[in-house]
Amino acid sequence: MVLESFSASLRETIRKITGSSYIDKETVKEISKDLQRILLKADVNVKTVLQVTKEMERRALEEKPPAGMAHQDYMVRIIYEELLKILGEPSNVKLKPQTIMLVGLYGNGKTTTAGKLARFFAKKGLNSGLIAADVHRYAAYDQLKQIASEVNAKFYGDQSEKDPVRLIKHGLEQLKDVAVKIIDTSGRDSMDAELFDEIRRIKEAVAPDEVLMIIDATMGQQAGPEAKAFNDAIGVTGIIITKMDGTAKGGGALSAVAEIHVPIYFIGTGEHMDDLEVFDPKKFLSRLLGL
Amino acid sequence: HRKKIDPDEVADEIPLKLVEADVSLEAAEDLASLVRNKLKEDTTLDPNEVLSSSILEMMPEYKFDVLNVNKKPFVVLFLGINGTGKTTTIGKFAHYLKRNGKSVVIAAADTFRAGAIEQISLIGREAGTEVIRHDRGSDPSSVAFDAIEHARARNIDYVLIDTAGRMNTNKNLLDEMKKIKRVSKPDLTLLVIDAVSGQDSVNQARMFEENVGYDGVIVTKLDTDARGGSILSIYHDLKKPVLFVCTGQGLDDIMPFDRNWYVRKLIPEPENETA
Ligand SMILES: Nc1nc2c(ncn2[C@@H]2O[C@H](COP(=O)(O)OP(=O)(O)OP(=O)(O)O)[C@@H](O)[C@H]2O)c(=O)[nH]1
Ligand SMILES: Nc1nc2c(ncn2[C@@H]2O[C@H](COP(=O)(O)OP(=O)(O)OP(=O)(O)O)[C@@H](O)[C@H]2O)c(=O)[nH]1
Ligand SMILES: [K+]
Ligand SMILES: [Mg+2]
Ligand SMILES: [Mg+2]
Repeated sequence: MVLESFSASLRETIRKITGSSYIDKETVKEISKDLQRILLKADVNVKTVLQVTKEMERRALEEKPPAGMAHQDYMVRIIYEELLKILGEPSNVKLKPQTIMLVGLYGNGKTTTAGKLARFFAKKGLNSGLIAADVHRYAAYDQLKQIASEVNAKFYGDQSEKDPVRLIKHGLEQLKDVAVKIIDTSGRDSMDAELFDEIRRIKEAVAPDEVLMIIDATMGQQAGPEAKAFNDAIGVTGIIITKMDGTAKGGGALSAVAEIHVPIYFIGTGEHMDDLEVFDPKKFLSRLLGL
Repeated sequence: HRKKIDPDEVADEIPLKLVEADVSLEAAEDLASLVRNKLKEDTTLDPNEVLSSSILEMMPEYKFDVLNVNKKPFVVLFLGINGTGKTTTIGKFAHYLKRNGKSVVIAAADTFRAGAIEQISLIGREAGTEVIRHDRGSDPSSVAFDAIEHARARNIDYVLIDTAGRMNTNKNLLDEMKKIKRVSKPDLTLLVIDAVSGQDSVNQARMFEENVGYDGVIVTKLDTDARGGSILSIYHDLKKPVLFVCTGQGLDDIMPFDRNWYVRKLIPEPENETA
């Protein structure tokens, strides 16, 4: 852990307690407040922030730092550990034939990520087929078709079919010899009952091996509640965070994990088909905390 | 008989309440101290009214009617990070202008993203608006230029320029945006912000201002459960007005920004006290 290089604000707080041989309740509270600011500015859900900092306060007062470790370093370690706990055990897509369905809010990067995943599997020796099941957005078909051709993946779409369930069934049939079938669905949110009903019907009919929720790193306080709504409706199995090449910290995605307890598989770091990285929790937390 | 209020207690609760609506922490804290001071001056005030009026103070009324302009063609350039809703918004904007008797041409200047030209072409057709397009991969500035020429030759009122989404951290793409702006000399440049995005909205707003410059903001996806705190943050940090908000994927889902509508969305009605 690179504790020395924590964010300026947290370092300032830590400086305050340097030299004191014990930490009192008040100091702990003060550090907790600063930590809250850092997490809130990174878009971690208010609920999650309060949970994490409460646990930190408890541990800081009850536990003793290991021999040789200064109090301030130990406080930081608790913070880091609590966040790491939320992220859970690292896990990723399996390298085997399967059906993957991509879901999420409007414009978060589902269609683009479908192409990136196809390229990822191709590098591992598995060919992919992309199914254009977004029957709502203008030119969603063209977008996925062009992406499929760019990554040399098979493609199935039918612009005259308005029922995504029928479309996907045909697609799976057409692509039955392809190892990894990736289904691109429309953007939606929990307030839209009709679209939520549609994704329920798709999930039920298709029974995919993986339901991956695509979460834009810029997502704010609604990331947790939205993830919960998707999970309750269709059972999410993993998360991919997109747009990590911007200035956003991705605290929304962390809150989503805190809410639904599924692993983050990948992060998207650009618009190009190679811009997909396997999720690294330590790197992610360093960035979130402003290391 | 009014319950006695403690200004500090009221103010202390404001930041988290507003951050929960995606207001930036800084804006929320400034607002809290504004409310604190007002309540300390006059403890008989209603805290909720003080909060609402303080929010309105942070968002000065902006008098600009996009339907009433004195230049032809009036060129509007749209920009923003990836996927915020630029292309969809242009369709709505074109539809809004046409409903008000204006003629419009759209420049398909996102020549980069897969399916982008097809998307804006279909949207243009739906809105009954001509779309000027070049091949994928061609120079976006020249698409914008051609659309403006087209409008001049045909006496069209408005040119709406769709541009590719670009991250606020991507130097090359920001430079490209500068060039599009230089060539098209827009009369109005609008930043499109996604209401679902959180604390990062002000980073986007700031970096686009520093690197490209714009006149106002459109906030999309306010039909979701996001409460759009970024609107207040952008007023607070950048003093940029919000011109329109969007509330759905359809052509009609756009409306001029209404500050009072917004305050009600940002702070839901206080619960009625029974005691
Ligand atoms: N910079 C950056 N852009 C991304 C990333 N992932 C996707 N995008 C861009 O985000 C925008 C939206 O991506 P799409 O793949 O169309 O998103 P979607 O979720 O399919 O959108 P809908 O189908 O409309 O809900 C496009 O401009 C993509 O190029 C990423 O990791 N970084
Ligand atoms: N619910 C809802 N969806 C919206 C709204 N505005 C746009 N969208 C959806 O958001 C997604 C992205 O919209 P686009 O218009 O393609 O976004 P963009 O900014 O042009 O994206 P890029 O060009 O890829 O950067 C689409 O699925 C739109 O239908 C809105 O106000 N409400
Ligand atoms: K909706
Ligand atoms: Mg899509
Ligand atoms: Mg677009």
